[in-house]
This record gives sequence, structure tokens and C-alpha cells, in this order.
Amino acid sequence: MNKLTFHYFHLMPWPHLPEDFDEKYDSAWVTLPNALYDPVKGHALYERYFNEIERADRLGWDGVIVNEHHQNAYGTMPSPNIMAAVLTQRVKRAKIGIIGNALPLHEDPLRVAEEIAMLDVISGGRIISGFVRGTGMEYFSYNVNPTTSRERMDEAHDLIIQAWTRPGPFAFEGEHYRYRYVNIWPRPIQQPPPIWLPGLASRETIDFAAAHKYPYMTVFMSMEQRERAYDLYRRLAEEKYGYEAKPEQLGFCTPVIIAPTDDEAMRIGEKYAMWLFNKGLKVRPEFFLPPGYMSPQSFKGALQSGIFSVLDRKATFKELVETGVIIAGSPATIIEKLSYHTEVLHAGMFVSTGHVGEIPDELVLQQQELLAKEVMPHFREQLVAQQL
Amino acid sequence: MTRPETSALDEKTERTVHVQGIATHIFEAGDSTNPPLVYLHGTFLGNLWLDYHKALAQHFHVFAPDTPGYGLTERPDWMRDMSDYILYFRDLLNVLGLQTTHIVGHSLGGWMAAEIAVWYPERVNKLILSNAAGIRVKGAPIADLFAMNWEEIVALNFDDPSAAKPLMRTEVNIDHLVQYYKEQMTLATLAWNPSYDPKLQRRLAQLICPTLVVWGANERVIPPIYGTVLQETIPNAKLIMLAGTGHMPMFEKHEEWAGVITQFLQENV
Repeated sequence: MNKLTFHYFHLMPWPHLPEDFDEKYDSAWVTLPNALYDPVKGHALYERYFNEIERADRLGWDGVIVNEHHQNAYGTMPSPNIMAAVLTQRVKRAKIGIIGNALPLHEDPLRVAEEIAMLDVISGGRIISGFVRGTGMEYFSYNVNPTTSRERMDEAHDLIIQAWTRPGPFAFEGEHYRYRYVNIWPRPIQQPPPIWLPGLASRETIDFAAAHKYPYMTVFMSMEQRERAYDLYRRLAEEKYGYEAKPEQLGFCTPVIIAPTDDEAMRIGEKYAMWLFNKGLKVRPEFFLPPGYMSPQSFKGALQSGIFSVLDRKATFKELVETGVIIAGSPATIIEKLSYHTEVLHAGMFVSTGHVGEIPDELVLQQQELLAKEVMPHFREQLVAQQL
Repeated sequence: MTRPETSALDEKTERTVHVQGIATHIFEAGDSTNPPLVYLHGTFLGNLWLDYHKALAQHFHVFAPDTPGYGLTERPDWMRDMSDYILYFRDLLNVLGLQTTHIVGHSLGGWMAAEIAVWYPERVNKLILSNAAGIRVKGAPIADLFAMNWEEIVALNFDDPSAAKPLMRTEVNIDHLVQYYKEQMTLATLAWNPSYDPKLQRRLAQLICPTLVVWGANERVIPPIYGTVLQETIPNAKLIMLAGTGHMPMFEKHEEWAGVITQFLQENV
């Protein structure tokens, strides 16, 4: 078995922010005027992004991934299932991950169950289905009460799994969602499609993932936070749910900057990667954490552990590399850093965000080729077998 | 010779009463032979005993509970919407032995007061709605407090920032932040979406108790038009716009605010 699976996460940012963005706008989310979006440029950008994902498929990534975000410049995919539908026609081999649909934001999760089932049938059973709650910002954009987010998440999850796996028709009797007839046509090929849960280290999400043996994917965490999250997952798996967590249950989503040399990688990173943190993730703290999005207990824990540092836009690229939020370097350096994840952390799923901000396509191509040709083989089955 | 203001009547008592299993923190003050008055505070304004409470206690037997989710009263998880609060307040009145009472409600507390008068009209002598939430006036949205930080909230609520002094902390620790977060959760539970009761305005048109609507003319949280609409909706309601203040007239103009309320409550109808 491969020591590490590789997944190509495209955030599809809107990189063309105005020169005066930093001074003039306090958030790339919720309130950033949509006059700043140019649909004609948007057309070309989507095309370029789809081509990039197609290339990742051809170069050997195990999966390609899209996600759902609303009313922002960070990621222009309000409907991830539309993006996945496009990918079923362009991506011939890799799995197609939707990480994920933001369940509590939707009044009708049965629609999500139906769409994923359609995609799974269309793609021949290649869909990975992530479930997320959506960011705090999206509770403003969709005007969904954040205090019921967790309950709606749990209920929508149960409904969707049942809709996929339980013979219909049957009734679903939830507190937030009620259906008299659950009986989806078509049904998915996979029973059920694999579920991943990305998270920002909240205890509830880790517990939920561990309980269901779903892979937990850390998002933009420092190494310290990631280790703590994995420890918690493993401990819960063992002590609370009675099993040993496998490497394929632990994933990490990390921006990656790779270049022929470490110096070059640092230069490219300095120039392009900080868009993600300084602009794309520029958020009013009030939007980031609406009341009830976290339990008061998790909120307290987060204050104590400093997890809100993702909002700390004062960190430099170098610091983000040092703390492990970003992985950067030459192929040899990247192999070393990924080996730490596989050998020490026993994490088995690497989700790279390759495209950041305004990075030009030739550099994206260079990064894709270096990762595919010089890094991936080190973690593939055959090579491991040869070494033994 | 006038009686000194610092008489025994100024003294408040503070206690915990149990209502529907909720340990409710409550201030009580004023001569118990005076007419009872229940004061329902606005969001983030629990566990306060300030000049405006004292001014009311000069003439009334004042009860000022911390609404569940604010101050020292916890909100149990089952308390999810306004109907839970209305039934809670009905039982609070029972526990306090108040068959009838005046009710003064400010902001979110004004919304609660209006609902109590709608559902339990026989329990309310006179109703005071100060800068009250609860209805919607299309085209004049209530400010989105969820999108603001504490400094912005204070700046919007107060015309005179120095009047906000009782609400400002010199030192903020994690427990304070968690308490504020929990109070925001209570507000979100009641008022994230919708931020009003779609049926309240129609019901207020049937109200039978004498009602005074008090507003700050410079109000920027719940625009003055809300005061006007409440006055036009509630039969025979009176509207007083206080000049030189906004959402927090009881902080900024406490004598004037308490004065117009006292006068209204004491006049014969």
C-alpha cells in the first residue's frame, strides 16, 4: 500500500483584487463588493483552473478536490457539485473529492444526497464526499443561525448516509430536517461514497470523525496544532471507540511551494503564497466566529490554545514555513517534510493546495511536475517494496 | 427639609430565585408598598444595578432579573425561542408573587415585555417599551450587532461614550470573553434569523394595557421609525422621543428617562 496518497485541492481564488484592497477593505468575505468580480475574466480563470486540475489527473494525483464557499474572493465555488460535475467529464482517472458540501447551510440536505449520488453514478464511483459546516462567514452570507450549526450538521449527515445506503422509501424524523419519503433516484455506486471531514481542530469535529472512522483532514494548521489534533483523534479512536486509527484516516491540507531549490521555493512563496493568508483569508474576526459556531467549551479551548492564529496576518511566509502551516522547499526538502508526516505522525493523506493567489500558470506547472515526478514516487508502493 | 436621597429605600437586595429549574439572579429594591415594576434589560446588559434602576426604585418596587443567558442567569439548552422566555417570565411573576405589575423593557427586553403583554394581558398593568426590538420596519434594518466588535457596538449604542463606563472592563480575561460569547449565543438564538417576531406587530394591535414608547432620537441600533410604528400600532400608545441620546437613554439621560416613565406610570388613565 502507498505510504501517502496525494490529492490536489483547488480553491479557485479570485486573485485580481484591487491595488488598494489592503487599505480599503476589511474582509475578503461577506461584504467585499461583488463589483470587484469580473465575469469575463472569471470565464478565463475557470478554464485555466479546470485545465490545471486535468493536468493533476494526468500527472498521477490520486484525487482532485473542490469545495464550497460563498460570497468571497478566497474561493469562487459556491456550488461544489457543479464543479464536480464538470470534473467528471475532464478528469478521467483520479477520484473527485468534494470537501465538502456545507451541510448546515442548506435547507434541503436531501438535495445534497441526490447530487452526490448522481455524481457518483456519472463518475463511475469516483466521488469522495466531504461534509463541512461551512466557515463562520457563510452563516452571515446565508443567514443561517450558527447556534444550530452542529445539530444541523449531525442530522443532515445521518439523513444523507441513510438516503445513500438504506432501501427507500423511509421516513426521516429529525429536529431540523423532516421527510416523509426518502427514496433517492439514482442511488450512488459506492455504499456509501467515502466521507472526509476537514477541520480546524475543534474537538467536536475530531470526535465525530473518529466515531465514524472518517478521515480527518487538518486545514492550514501549524505542525503543533496538527500533532495535537491527530493525538486527540487517535486517543478517541482507541479509548472511546475501541479501534486503532490508520494512517489513511489522518490527512493534512497544506499549501505547498516546491521549486528546484529551497531558495527558489522561498522566493516563489514570498511572492505568491501570502495572498492566501493576507488577502484571501482576510476576515473580520466577527465573521470568522459567529456565536454558537463553536460550543462555548471549544471556544474557551481555542482561546487558550491560540488556534485563532490562522487569522494572525502578521506572520511572515518564513514563519508559516517554520511552524509547518506551509510546506516549501526543493523536492528533497519536501520529501523530508512529508516523511515526517508519514513516519512520525503516521498521517497517510496529503492534500496539497497548489494554486495560490496570483501565481502564474508556468509556475503551477513546474510545481505540479516536480511534485509528481520527484516527490510522489518516494511514497509509492513499488518503491517502498524495492527498498525492502 | 427634604429627605436625604440615601435613605434605606435606596438599598437593593440581590438573590437567586428558581424558575422552571433556572437559578435566576435578581435585584430587588424600593418600598414594597409601592406598585411593582419588572425591568427587563437589553442584550449584554444583565447583572447591572445603576442609576436608572435606582431612579425607578424611588417610586416603585423594582424587580430586575438577569434574563436567562445574561449576567448571572444561565440559559438552559432547551430555551430556544421567544415562547420559552414568555412562559419563563409568566412563572417568574408567579414566583415573585406578582399577580399584576408594570413592565419596563429595553431593546431585547422590550421585545420580551411586548410579548408578555400580548400573551398575558391580565398580568400587565402598564407597559413601557424603550428602544424595543421585536418588530420589523421594512427598509429600516436593525443594526447587525453580530458583525461588530465590542468597541463598534459601544460606539453605535452610545451617543456619549463616557456613559458606557459601567460596561467597560479595565482588564479582559478568557472567562469574560467566554461569557460575552455565551451572551451573543443567546442573542443569536433569539434574533439571528428572523431578528424579530413576524406575528408580533399584528398582535400588538390588540393590546389592551396603557403603553408608553420611549426612544432616543439619535437611535442608530433600532431606528426611531420603530418607535413611531410601535406607537401607531398599539392602541392609545404614547411616544416620547428623548433628544440628545440614542439606544441607551437610561445610561445617557437616566433622570429624564426614568422621569417620563415614572410620570406615565403614575398618571391615572
